[in-house]
Amino acid sequence: MSAEPLLSVRDLSKRFGGLLALDGVHFEVARGEIFGIIGPNGAGKTTLFSCLTGLLPPTRGEIWFRGARIDGRSSPAVVARGLVRTHQIVRPFREMTVEENVSVGAHFGAGRRRGTDALRRVREILERTGLGPRAKALAGTLTIGELKRLEIARALATEPTAICLDEVMGGLNPAEIVGAMALIRSIRDANVTVLMIEHHVHAVVGVSDRILVLNFGQRIAEGVPRDVVRDPEVVAAYLGDDSVPVRADA
Amino acid sequence: MRALPASVGAVAATAALAAPFFLERGALNDLWSLALGVILASAWNLLGGFAGQVSLGYSAFLGIGAYTTVLLSLRGVDPFLTLPLGALLAALFSVVIGLPAFRLRGPYFTIATIGVGEAVRVSAASVSFTGGSGGLRMPAGSFDFQLNYYSMTVLAILAVALSAVVRRSAFGRALAAIRQDIDAAESLGVNSTRFKLAAHALSAAVVALAGSLYAINFQYIAPGSVFDFRLSLSIVLMPIVGGVGTVVGPVLGALVFSTLQIKLLAIPALRDAYLLLYGGLLILVMLYEPKGLVGLWRRLTARLRSPVPAPGPEVPDVG
Repeated sequence: MSAEPLLSVRDLSKRFGGLLALDGVHFEVARGEIFGIIGPNGAGKTTLFSCLTGLLPPTRGEIWFRGARIDGRSSPAVVARGLVRTHQIVRPFREMTVEENVSVGAHFGAGRRRGTDALRRVREILERTGLGPRAKALAGTLTIGELKRLEIARALATEPTAICLDEVMGGLNPAEIVGAMALIRSIRDANVTVLMIEHHVHAVVGVSDRILVLNFGQRIAEGVPRDVVRDPEVVAAYLGDDSVPVRADA
Repeated sequence: MRALPASVGAVAATAALAAPFFLERGALNDLWSLALGVILASAWNLLGGFAGQVSLGYSAFLGIGAYTTVLLSLRGVDPFLTLPLGALLAALFSVVIGLPAFRLRGPYFTIATIGVGEAVRVSAASVSFTGGSGGLRMPAGSFDFQLNYYSMTVLAILAVALSAVVRRSAFGRALAAIRQDIDAAESLGVNSTRFKLAAHALSAAVVALAGSLYAINFQYIAPGSVFDFRLSLSIVLMPIVGGVGTVVGPVLGALVFSTLQIKLLAIPALRDAYLLLYGGLLILVMLYEPKGLVGLWRRLTARLRSPVPAPGPEVPDVG
């Protein structure tokens, strides 16, 4: 990469007592990329997102985002800088409506919008994520597919430069997965860089520009999807012997 | 839905302000107590209800307001001019104790606030400038019940209005997000510590204002009265019985509380049994309707509107 990367992770480690969840992970993400992160359960993918977005302080290493070091900063400070995440297990504010949930991101994210300005932004995002008709529904009444979209909508309302999507396709049916892939592409098309953890290998291969593979907290491969899915170490550690179709343009 | 409570509230506020023209002193005393309860419950609800941070140390703020007023009045300052300073001192104190206490979550935070409240009471009883455990008396000639009544009533109306404004504001939305899922709120940019400190300071200031007016009306304060743990407990019980996290709930809770207080005080055998009664009431509320009287009202109206039985209460996760 010739230009300065948007995100640079250098020698990142995270230890929980005797468990080394991340072990010297390093990678860079360019502005406008869709960057997939795959690996078996327990590989450290969600821990990586938690370190990136301020939920967990790394044990060692550095995280640089938009030219500033952000490791060890609080979640709100990281969001204010323009990096936001969704949660693998959805965490809606169940006593709020869909619109109110999204307004939290609009009010307190990087945009800091208030009043009608915030409401306009919220409605625009609800339309983009297909939640417009459910705006006044209580979040506790949504289906799993709608809750996944609500996670994305709330994060987008913070007006991020980059968004970390943690298994937003988990629990979705095939039609919903196709919709989620289109939504992810549209997020990138709106100039938001995407990092995504995903277990649906077909989907992540289909939508990502590059993929990082983690195993036992270590980076075992990184590159374009076509190369990564043929990497013998990746096949042995995660994919198995089943062949993975590679998209035509990869 | 909001129009009905607002209309009822406007009528109640007007009636309370007009009460001195048609009620006798005894009834006005009861209304004064009700207004005090409304202020304390509504103020506590800003942090405890909206943000879900259950504090059992609020008598400290009432005491700070009361002592600021008495100490300055004894040095010749007009009692009502001391109110802003008492509120400011309570707000500052709330930040000082909030900074370490808000690092704790759930019951650990609550236990810490009990410790703070008791530490303040013991300290106030052991230093000389507070009058020690003997307490302090306001200077002679500073009593005007009519003025005291209006002051407390107006503050009660303002406290409820403040509660309604906060609930509908972006600030209130942040507090609700913190209550429902603090980590999710933080991951959307809500600085939970800052908002909890702000809600704590705001509610502490309002409680201190009530403490000042309490001292002006009672003319005598002592650590055993204004810093009493039972007072902190009563402040928490009112919004919980009425409906925690709502605007109307603390008002209803204060109404139940002050009515019971008046009835119990009239029966000598039950005078000291009020905590037992409130404890029982608290257990009933937590078991059968965690949203208090407001939740009960909502369930009843939902049942009347729909032939399908309304769902039971959602029991909060207290783990």
